[in-house]
Amino acid sequence: MENVDHPAAFAAGSACRGGIDVGRLRDDPQPAHRMALTVAGAFVCVGLAWVVLTDIVLYHAIHDRVLIARLETMKGWAFVGLAGSFLYVVTLRSASRLARVWRLTAAVVESIADGVLVLGRERTITHANPAAVRMLGCGLDRLIGMDAEEFSRRFHVSYLDGSVVPPEAYISQRVFDEGGRLHYKVKLQPLGGGDLVISATAAGVRSSPDEPTLCVVSVMHDITDSENLVRLRDQLFTGAAHCLKTPVAVIKANAQALLRTVGPRHRGVVSALNRQCDRIDRLVQNLMVLARARSRSLELHPEPVDLEQLVERIAGEPLWSHRHEVVVDALGRAPCVRADEERIALILRNVLYEACRLSPAQSRVLVYTKLEGNWGEVGVRYRPLPWHEQATAVYNEYDDVGIGRSVTDTIVKAHGGSSHTVVAGSHVTIYFQLPAQRGEQP
Amino acid sequence: VSAPGDVLIVDDDSDLLEVAELLLRGAGYATRTAHNGREALTAVAAGMPALILLDMLMPVMDGSQFAQEFRAKNGRAAFIVVVTAAEHARARCGALEVDGVLAKPFDARELLQIVARLAGPPT
Repeated sequence: MENVDHPAAFAAGSACRGGIDVGRLRDDPQPAHRMALTVAGAFVCVGLAWVVLTDIVLYHAIHDRVLIARLETMKGWAFVGLAGSFLYVVTLRSASRLARVWRLTAAVVESIADGVLVLGRERTITHANPAAVRMLGCGLDRLIGMDAEEFSRRFHVSYLDGSVVPPEAYISQRVFDEGGRLHYKVKLQPLGGGDLVISATAAGVRSSPDEPTLCVVSVMHDITDSENLVRLRDQLFTGAAHCLKTPVAVIKANAQALLRTVGPRHRGVVSALNRQCDRIDRLVQNLMVLARARSRSLELHPEPVDLEQLVERIAGEPLWSHRHEVVVDALGRAPCVRADEERIALILRNVLYEACRLSPAQSRVLVYTKLEGNWGEVGVRYRPLPWHEQATAVYNEYDDVGIGRSVTDTIVKAHGGSSHTVVAGSHVTIYFQLPAQRGEQP
Repeated sequence: VSAPGDVLIVDDDSDLLEVAELLLRGAGYATRTAHNGREALTAVAAGMPALILLDMLMPVMDGSQFAQEFRAKNGRAAFIVVVTAAEHARARCGALEVDGVLAKPFDARELLQIVARLAGPPT
């Protein structure tokens, strides 16, 4: 029996009612050797026992040499008969077990909703289950013997970003050389039309772990519906976020128009409207970044950015300065980075918002920029609320601060930088570092 | 010939048109409005403004179509500032020969600064 290292070849490793311990079969590295040794060992033991025992009985009970010779011949015939019967029973049992495993495997492969392709040594398809035939919209007779080049021509396999997967990069081909279990998500076009998104795995079948791959089992799981749902959700997020910007713009502009006419008594109310518009705008931008990052469509438009100027501009916005004393400190030479200014402005707003949210009103929030080796660093230092007060303002991944942190991390990583939070004494510092730009100034 | 201090605001959102008019008139500018690119072309034919504040996503004729037609017919007879909710608006408007970009939601001060710079002094 071959060593099958793909879980789909057997039902999920559990014992079968038919008496086949599939889990044991799967975990046993040398099932064929073990079975052959068992049969040979049993044959040798029974043969030895037969020869020794019958000789002892014969030579003790009978003293006539002619009769002994005749009985020894009969004993030999009896051994042949018994050994034949023994081998028949053992072989029948082993063959029955193999047949049951084969039928179990066949039943799993034929009934599974996932498409299964088996590729032989020639790296062409040698078997496809009904689900694979249905998914690909192609008859079994046309699939059998198909190689990777032809598969590519017929089904146009591409990655989710639209780039074509070259035939030699198919996991069902790579696994012949690389071994192990390989996995990817790809898009293909079945013959009946439409796009199919599949999560595919491939694993090799070998006589033993060190032997070359005899054949490859590739399983195709149809995830078209779930991928479409994810895409729709991201589009909804992006669309809704985009649509929110115009009403926010109207409210903000009206609030600012009002500010010019209202008396001092109502000025605070209108200013609050203005600040909340800025807050909604930041939330909307965060949602858009998250949706784009999830759909792998986050764009960056890098340009030289003077971090000191950026920090001065953002720190002066009313959302934080009305309740906190925001102080800017440029430590040493002003760093310039090559980054997407719009995105960096967003993460600075996120960090400032977090600092103001988690620190007492009227307290000081320090924003600094500095050049740290090859990194341009921007940090925000604040004195946090006592832990019991902070607990009520605690963030999770779905609230304002949590989403802001997630977006900050995403954008900083997309720029090749890193973000950190350090607690030292009575202060917390949140800072991020971006690769510094040398020579080019904005 | 464009009239200094004359601003054409093009947006399909009536509330945004109203408040932009309110802010600009309050600062002494003459304003006209249009709800889409087609109306804006008609308004331009009636009289060339000094500055056009242009939304991008609009029915009938969107902002980029208007900008292309306007530049093809009138060259640089008026300044165009795109007012948009799109991300990376400056990069997206790169091919449109526009003179400025204002991201929504904009600040009144930013709006007045850009109008003062391009449309000249109020009438």
